[in-house]
Amino acid sequence: MPRLLYTAIAIVLLLPLTSCSEDSEYVPVNEAMELDIPSNFPPLAQEVAVTKKGFELGRKLFYDGRLSADGTVSCSFCHEQGYAFTHHGHQFSHGINNQEGTRNAPPVQNMAFQSEYFYDGASNSLEMLSIVPIHNPAEMAETLEGIADKLKADSEYTRLFSQAFEDGQVSSGNILKALGQFMAMMVSANSKYDKHVRNEPGGSLTQQELQGLQLFQGKCASCHATDLFTDSSFRNNGLPPNPFLNDKGREIVTGFASDRYKFKVPSLRNIEKTAPYMHDGRFGSLESVLNFYSSGVLSSETLDPLLDHNGVLGIPLDTNEKAAIIAFLKTLTDEEFLNNPLFYFRT
Amino acid sequence: MKFQLKNTAAVLAATALFMSCSSDDSTSVNPESHGDVEVYFDNGVGGDALTLGTSYTNSNGESLTINRLNYIVSNFVLIKADGSEYVYPKDDSYFVISAEAGMLTAHLENIPAGDYKKVRFGIGVDQQRYLQGETAQQSFWDLAAAHDMTWTWSTGYRFINFEGTFTAPGLNNGLIFQVHQGSNTATDNYREVTLDLPTTARVREGEVPSVHVKTNANVILDGQQKIKLSDNLNQAGTGAAVMGGENLIKIAGNTLNMFSVDHVHNGGSGHHE
Repeated sequence: MPRLLYTAIAIVLLLPLTSCSEDSEYVPVNEAMELDIPSNFPPLAQEVAVTKKGFELGRKLFYDGRLSADGTVSCSFCHEQGYAFTHHGHQFSHGINNQEGTRNAPPVQNMAFQSEYFYDGASNSLEMLSIVPIHNPAEMAETLEGIADKLKADSEYTRLFSQAFEDGQVSSGNILKALGQFMAMMVSANSKYDKHVRNEPGGSLTQQELQGLQLFQGKCASCHATDLFTDSSFRNNGLPPNPFLNDKGREIVTGFASDRYKFKVPSLRNIEKTAPYMHDGRFGSLESVLNFYSSGVLSSETLDPLLDHNGVLGIPLDTNEKAAIIAFLKTLTDEEFLNNPLFYFRT
Repeated sequence: MKFQLKNTAAVLAATALFMSCSSDDSTSVNPESHGDVEVYFDNGVGGDALTLGTSYTNSNGESLTINRLNYIVSNFVLIKADGSEYVYPKDDSYFVISAEAGMLTAHLENIPAGDYKKVRFGIGVDQQRYLQGETAQQSFWDLAAAHDMTWTWSTGYRFINFEGTFTAPGLNNGLIFQVHQGSNTATDNYREVTLDLPTTARVREGEVPSVHVKTNANVILDGQQKIKLSDNLNQAGTGAAVMGGENLIKIAGNTLNMFSVDHVHNGGSGHHE
């Protein structure tokens, strides 16, 4: 009897509510998005909780120039999908007012599996990393608070934020969270190489590619480790410093002289598409990269010990070996990722 | 006259009601009740009061004119005599203390009534919190940014922002100094301190004990570890910046002695003790 009474009260209470919501806009359910971990990948390195609405909002933000001070530079300006989200053909990242930064835009892929971001490890959190390009005066030159103010005036954004997040706010925190959710889903794991190691159709490598794979495992994989092709460490690979930039790399973040000229080991996925190469984009081709490793490595106090074999610097490679390694590296191109409509933005 | 009398009567009646309530509370603590605690940070330099724009000489032989002293305190825990702890909710446990903004208190709400003998808090933002990403910080980022307590070239918070000008033997007068303490992806410089309260902080419903913490800004550079600004000049020699490397680890150690509790005010309305 009391239960019946409560039910009756509840119904009476709900009546005005339901009539209200019928009038107002339909609010769709914000379902969770699963991140499928490729079987050949190491475990996730970031906490990932993605919803469909959060992901879609992050994608819209990624392509929106309003994230920069003058509205001209979006994330996608320097991170173009067709080039594994790099700044194709540009040695350095460009910013507002035609400025140029000092580093080559790194690819955005497999982010949730990484524990360090940027060439110097300026961030170790997928949700926080967007702070760096947004605030960099030579890149987007904005502030999170400034972006939030701009987006609050846009009814489309206020609606999308209210759908994507429990607190519904257009806030610094939710901007970063949405961008993080979008980037968390950007997984590249369907190259010819991946199909090869997973014994899937389309994964048969040529004789030269197989030779390259074997050479790579012997000569490169101690740093370009696992199927992410990076061990997320910071190393000085012996690049002669550019005297005009004198980029000290990891030391800028840590303040330790022992980190001078160390840069994060980059992933090699989609490397065919991400030229130019190195933190300062100095090499235009993979041939130049391998020529550097075989004959251009410079000794210094912080040179990685793996590149110094009793005074013999670099990685010994002959012409055939270089060609085989490059053939192998091209099997890391993942056309599905480069063309996946999930990562486009269409209004 | 008549009006005034009426008012006085009302005040007396209200006071009587209030006092009878609070005297009940102090004889037997109702464990279900809650009160607030205010932690007040009284900024000083080596025993002197901190006045922004005034110069202080430290044992490194350098005179500092401090123009900014902002710091983050966090993760408050109140501890009773029997060692039991009340951990303040983490989501609400981050505060910016700023001399220039006059923000000097961490106001803790809804603390279980009881007698507390120690307070523990962190200096800065812990890695666990930081790695939860901006989602966990929400409006704290905006608060910190508004008080110059964020790092954006590297992502994180300034734990201490200590700035001004300084003079040192053999140097031009009035060089700028900037000391920015924080963690980076290589070193975790968050530290916690546990401070004894000289008198019990009595948390009761309707009373706000005030824990009066003395902050000694001198120990940042001139604590157990000594950091000379003149050893940290920039290449142009126009100023000193202490923002990375071993210095941050030294400062983290020094901050363990940066705070002490001088006294506790009990009974927010002043009718106790």
